[in-house]
This record gives sequence, C-alpha cells and structure tokens, in this order.
Amino acid sequence: MPEPDKTILNQMLSYKAGNQETIEDANARLIALLDAAVDALIIIDGKGKIELFNSAAQKMFLYTSQEVLGKNIKLLMPTSFSVEHDKYLSSYLSSGEAKIIGKGRKVRGKKSNGEEFPIFLSVGEVKDSSHIQFVGIIRDISEQEQDKIEAQESRERLSHASRLSSMGELAAGIAHEMNQPLSAISSYAQASKRLLQSPTQNNEEKVVAALDKICDQAIRASDVINRLRTFVKKRVAQRESVALNGLILETVNLAKVDTRILDHEILLDLNYINKPKLLADPVQIQQVLLNLIRNGIDAMEHIKGAPLRIRSQWISDNMIEVSVIDCGHGMDAETSCGIFNPFFTTKESGMGMGLSVSQTIIHAHGGNIYFGPSQPNGCIFSFSLPAKIISQENIEK
Amino acid sequence: MQNNQTKHVYSPPMVHVVDDDEAVLDSVGMLLDSIGLTNTCYKDAKVFLDAYSEAEFDKQNGCILLDIRMPFISGIECQHRLEEMGCRMPIIFVTGHGDVPTAVEAMKSGAVEFIQKPFREQVLIDSIQKALQANLKDQKQLEIIKTTQAKLASLTSRETQILEAVVSGKANKVIAIDLHLSQRTIEIHRAHVMEKMGVKSLAELVKVVIDASPTD
Repeated sequence: MPEPDKTILNQMLSYKAGNQETIEDANARLIALLDAAVDALIIIDGKGKIELFNSAAQKMFLYTSQEVLGKNIKLLMPTSFSVEHDKYLSSYLSSGEAKIIGKGRKVRGKKSNGEEFPIFLSVGEVKDSSHIQFVGIIRDISEQEQDKIEAQESRERLSHASRLSSMGELAAGIAHEMNQPLSAISSYAQASKRLLQSPTQNNEEKVVAALDKICDQAIRASDVINRLRTFVKKRVAQRESVALNGLILETVNLAKVDTRILDHEILLDLNYINKPKLLADPVQIQQVLLNLIRNGIDAMEHIKGAPLRIRSQWISDNMIEVSVIDCGHGMDAETSCGIFNPFFTTKESGMGMGLSVSQTIIHAHGGNIYFGPSQPNGCIFSFSLPAKIISQENIEK
Repeated sequence: MQNNQTKHVYSPPMVHVVDDDEAVLDSVGMLLDSIGLTNTCYKDAKVFLDAYSEAEFDKQNGCILLDIRMPFISGIECQHRLEEMGCRMPIIFVTGHGDVPTAVEAMKSGAVEFIQKPFREQVLIDSIQKALQANLKDQKQLEIIKTTQAKLASLTSRETQILEAVVSGKANKVIAIDLHLSQRTIEIHRAHVMEKMGVKSLAELVKVVIDASPTD
C-alpha cells in the first residue's frame, strides 16, 4: 500500500493559493469527490463507530447518513459477519494482524430493509490521524453474482438436456436392463408357485432359496433405476469429493445399457496406487466420460470385438488425466476442426451436443479436454482435472 | 408332449437354455425344472456352440431357448451357426426389449417363436410345447427317411434300376424291353423290391420313395 500522502490537503489548499483558497473550498471538493464515487465509502473509528457515510453508501444500504452516523458499523452486516467484527477490530488493534486490510474480499452487507446482498469490501487504515480510523470502500456485486448464477444455471440446463438425450438414445438398452431382473423375478416366482403346489416332495428349501434370489433381483432392478435416475435428475451442480476409480467403474456400468458395448471389451488401466480424488460434480464427470465411451463405441461400430481402453494417469502433482482410447476409423482433419462446436455431428442420430457440453463441464471444473490419434489407429480423447491423491487415512470404500 | 407310442422310441427331449444373464438363466432353469422339462443351461452362445459341435448331447432331440442380446455372439448369429452345422432343433428367441426388426429377421431365419421377457410361464410352456412337437414330427420324419434309405440301400443294383423305372410309371413290358430282359424276370425283381421295401401296393411304394427323397 502506498504511504498516505500528507500533502493532499496542502495541494487542495494551495491549488489556487493566489486566489485565497479557503479550507471551505477544500472541504467542498472532498465532499464532491466522496459523492461522485459509485462505490460506497465509509469511515469508522477504532470501535466501529461510523464517522463518514457517502451518498453512494446511502443509496446502497438505504440509510441516510443521519441514521447511521455514530452507530456501529455492524448495523450494515448480517449477523453471521457482525458477531466476528468486534473480534477482528480488537485483534488488529492489539496485534496489528490484519485479516482484510489491503486485500479486499467478498462479504455480505445488509440494507435497512433487512435485505442481504453480496459486496466486495476493501479496507484501509487512516494513518497520522488524531484517533484510530478505518476507511472502507464497498462495491455492490449482486449483478455479477447473479450473472454467474445464471451462466451456471444455463450450463446445467444444457448438460441436463444432453443427459436426457443420451438416455433417449439408450431407451432400448434401458428397457432390456430393467427386463432382465424382472424376468428372473417372474420366473423364480412362477417356479416357486409350482413347487408349492406340487404334492410330491418337500420343496420348502428350494422355495426359500428362490425367494432370496427374488429379493436380490428386486434390488438389482432398483439399482438400475437409481443409477439412471441420478444420471437424468434435474439437479443443482454440486462439487464433492469423489474417488475417480469408483466413478469410472460406475460409468462403465451405466454405459453397458448401450447394446453395442457388448461387442467390445472394456479395458481399464487406472491408478490403483496413488488413487486420485476429485473435487467435482460426479454426475457431470460421468456424463463426460459416458459421452467419450459412447463416441468410442460408435467409432468401432463395424469392428467387432475391438477393445476400448479407459486409462487414468497423473500428468502433474495435482492434475489427473482420463483417456478413452478406441481403435476405430480415426478422424479426418475436417471433422477434428469442428468437433467441440455445438450441433456438430457426424452421426445420423445425434444431437451434436455431447462434446460441446463435455468441454463446458471440464472447463468449469478447471480442466481441459483434448484429443489426438491413437496408435496404430483410432482416437484418443482425454480430459484433465485437478485432483489429489487419496490419503491412507481415508481410503475409498 | 410325449405319447406312449413314442416314449420308448425317443429319449426325453432336452430344452437348451442360452442366456448371458446369470439370474435369468438360473431362474428359467428352475422354472423348467418345476414344470418337469429336462433342461441344460449355457452361459453364452459360445459355450452352447462348443457343446453342440462336440456332440455332448443328442443333436436333434429338443429345442433351444435363445437370448437375442448376448456379448460377442448374438442370438441371431448363433442361429446362423447352428444352421450351418445342420442343427434341426427349433429355436425360441427370448428378448428383453421388443426389437421388431430383429424379431422379423429371426422369424425369417426359421425361429418358431419369439417371446419377450419377462414372460408368463404359460407362454413359455406353450412355445416349448409347440417347438417340441415340431421337433418330434421332424424326428419321426427323419426316422422314416432313415429306414427307407436303409431299405433302398439293401436293394441290388438291378432291383434299384427296376424300382426307379416302376416309380417313374413304366409298365413291366416297357421296362423289359428297355433292359433287354424277359417280362417274367422283371416281375420277379419287382416282387423282391416290394418285399424288401415292406410295401404291398404300387401306390404305397411310390409314396415311401417320394417321402424319403430329399425335399430341399
């Protein structure tokens, strides 16, 4: 922070010294400066008492200066911040340790009508003054925050739409996935009925075993539903700590509803030592991976039995890279140019949103998505994400 | 499905169940057991095809309950391979999703039934009955053909010559002239043919020979 310039007032006073500039003129100019500011400017004393409250502050907090002058600054804060404020002041005054001075940070303010709003606050100390004083400059950041939220929401809507569309494409597979356990349940039940009706032998044991199997199959059916439900549910994106290996396995299971995946072997090459952990939205990462897996399978449509490899590897101390490697027909230069554009597709039945949405998701997670040719043929699609090694104490289940 | 007349001739038919889903396979096996149908379960098409080609069972006696959607070798592909190996057992396709084009293809290739999972036992029983009846009829036919062929093989070359002429509608007199033999000789050969073929009339002889001749 630059040294406070003691000569400012002198400059103001001496500006037109020849014309006998008065201290009143300097005062008027100061008031004009304060009033012209779009940001709220507030000066408080060492105990938090408000000494100055400019017009922008009045508009922002909906108080007149008469209402707040002499009152404690805590009046302008929501309770969650105000309880800490006295502590900050006294700790700074006794130790000189500043939590906020010179840094500025996002906090929340409270208007006279009780409405809370996000603000960016920077604080400076008034030095060489008769008593301890702090000056605060406050910017209302409601609009920026709102824009951010809206951008986030529209990203989520788009990624949700894209998830729904993948599920639509997989409808036949989903029906099959559900019908398997249902079919087993129905056959076990009918067999049990026959066993119970049969007068000949004592079939109790067989029936009990069948009932157990019925329970297992019912759980299997509900697992299928849960997996799909989690995937298509409209939801607020949430970052949480997720073990990457588990997430990949879950996605491969989800991908298996695609009939064509049965014709290919899925090879997993994951980090079993130094297992990676992400701070991410698991459903969105699944969505990206599912897109890449399905693209890989599409690329190998006519190459029966060709394997699809999924690999994870550390590319730096805090970046993990997940790659999906197909051995399909590869990509021509023209295709590879537009691949991340929305509505770009080379498929007959595709929305062309998959990679575009994937890119948005990965960027929002602080990672990158890229591709290249694979050897001897095919494509390799990778995305990187910030990650940590799962520590020994909290090894994944 | 077995009447007394055939019971001692044929061993009980085998229902071969092929499904890659462990639970479905196990439950269908249990259901067939409870119905009293002898069955064998195979966890995929490859296992079944291997067993079939190694002749681990009577290759023609029974029917096949085949899942359509299986990894590596689909039900449809399995059907084609069985056909190539000369398998005559009727196939009942089972599917987890109503895939119409696949069903059409399967039926065109000669599947007898197409049932959807989950199925009612009655639907399953009816389909299996139908398949086994078709199989039984087919086997009887095969049996008859085999017997007739054996009888035909027992004929001397002269007798075979005369049989062919008789069946094609030539009178003894014409045959005698054609073969430069006496009419009496033809009559004697003809009697032997009738005896060896186990028939009493010309009409019966013609029918037996036509039934045994390859239809394809």
